[in-house]
Amino acid sequence: MCDTCGCGTPGEAVTYRKHGDKLHHHGDSLLHTHDHNHDHTHIRSIAVEQDILGENSLQAQRNRGYFEAKNIFTVNLVSSPGSGKTTLLEKTLSDLEGVPCAVIEGDQQTMNDADRIAATGVPVLQINTGNGCHLDADMVHTACGELELEDNSLLFIENVGNLICPALFDLGEDKRVVIISVTEGDDKPEKYPTMFDAADICIINKIDLLPHVQFDVQKCRERALQVNHHLKFFEISATSGEGLPAWNTWLRENIKKQH
Amino acid sequence: MHEMSIAMNIVDIACKEAQSEGASTISIIELDVGKLAGVMIDSLKFCYDSVCKNTLAEGSELVINEISGSGHCLDCATEFEIDSFMALCPNCESYKVDINQGRELRLKAVTVN
Ligand SMILES: Nc1nc2c(ncn2[C@@H]2O[C@H](COP(=O)(O)OP(=O)(O)OP(=O)(O)O)[C@@H](O)[C@H]2O)c(=O)[nH]1
Ligand SMILES: [Mg+2]
Ligand SMILES: [Zn+2]
Repeated sequence: MCDTCGCGTPGEAVTYRKHGDKLHHHGDSLLHTHDHNHDHTHIRSIAVEQDILGENSLQAQRNRGYFEAKNIFTVNLVSSPGSGKTTLLEKTLSDLEGVPCAVIEGDQQTMNDADRIAATGVPVLQINTGNGCHLDADMVHTACGELELEDNSLLFIENVGNLICPALFDLGEDKRVVIISVTEGDDKPEKYPTMFDAADICIINKIDLLPHVQFDVQKCRERALQVNHHLKFFEISATSGEGLPAWNTWLRENIKKQH
Repeated sequence: MHEMSIAMNIVDIACKEAQSEGASTISIIELDVGKLAGVMIDSLKFCYDSVCKNTLAEGSELVINEISGSGHCLDCATEFEIDSFMALCPNCESYKVDINQGRELRLKAVTVN
């Protein structure tokens, strides 16, 4: 069971909302009843050999093609609840003034994060996943349709706060960024290796709190590299702004690379 | 819990296959699941029965073949079995290991009637 999100039952509809919107639904029925017509044939085994997440991977590839065609650099932000994803976005968006940006917010229930982003003036769409503990490629596709993304822009996707489930779901992003804050313990990479394995970038956030907590930055980096030796790191404080210039430079370079 | 959406995908794929074969019931769904696939097999089994309700797979059995992990060292090219992402090369003790096998999450076969 997933303790992080506590969800257990399927079926609660996914909703998409812009800042100030009323609820509107998109159908997402994955399961349907089939008629049982009992014309008795013989018992047989059918070879299927299909990737169980193949449907999501296909949609992610379609999204990736769309982003490429429009020259949109896309970042998928994943972390435990409260590691500072939204705070980092608020800061980054104000630092990147002049660069066309958009944000997709994923959350089980509330509009809170989208409202915080909307306050920066950047276009944002909230996806409420209901019971769902992660965004999937199809949700991102629908959200992109609603957002009318600009060419040559940056798209940030804040995934549902959860260090387990989003690991398996490719959204079509260019880079996956895992955020860990220093209040969480430096053994996170060891405890949640699947997420660190699936990430390109690791941000260590809340470094302003380092004097007050037992968190060995070096040890955390080493452990994360043992899981995934491709990881690149940024050490930042989203609230004080320390370390953010390097992150902003990295983003700007990636937008340029796209051209 | 992503095992729920994975269970839904499994049953969805299995039902489509069974229908296209003109079958009326599914008795067994067989999976290949890698040790590094990021799926908790217990959670998956826990979700499975409820997801099968009111589908061709109602009452079916879930058979899971666990696939072991393997990787190779980027420093010395040794290939070896791994059971975690923090794999250490047994030859040169490097952590620069890329995974070859163990991420599988595949619907292998369905037994239908
Ligand atoms: N001291 C300190 N606090 C921070 C920092 N970044 C975020 N916070 C605080 O951490 C809390 C959670 O931050 P959010 O940005 O809402 O975290 P989140 O990851 O978006 O959370 P969810 O969307 O709920 O998963 C807030 O109280 C922030 O002010 C930081 O760098 N330093
Ligand atoms: Mg947030
Ligand atoms: Zn080696």
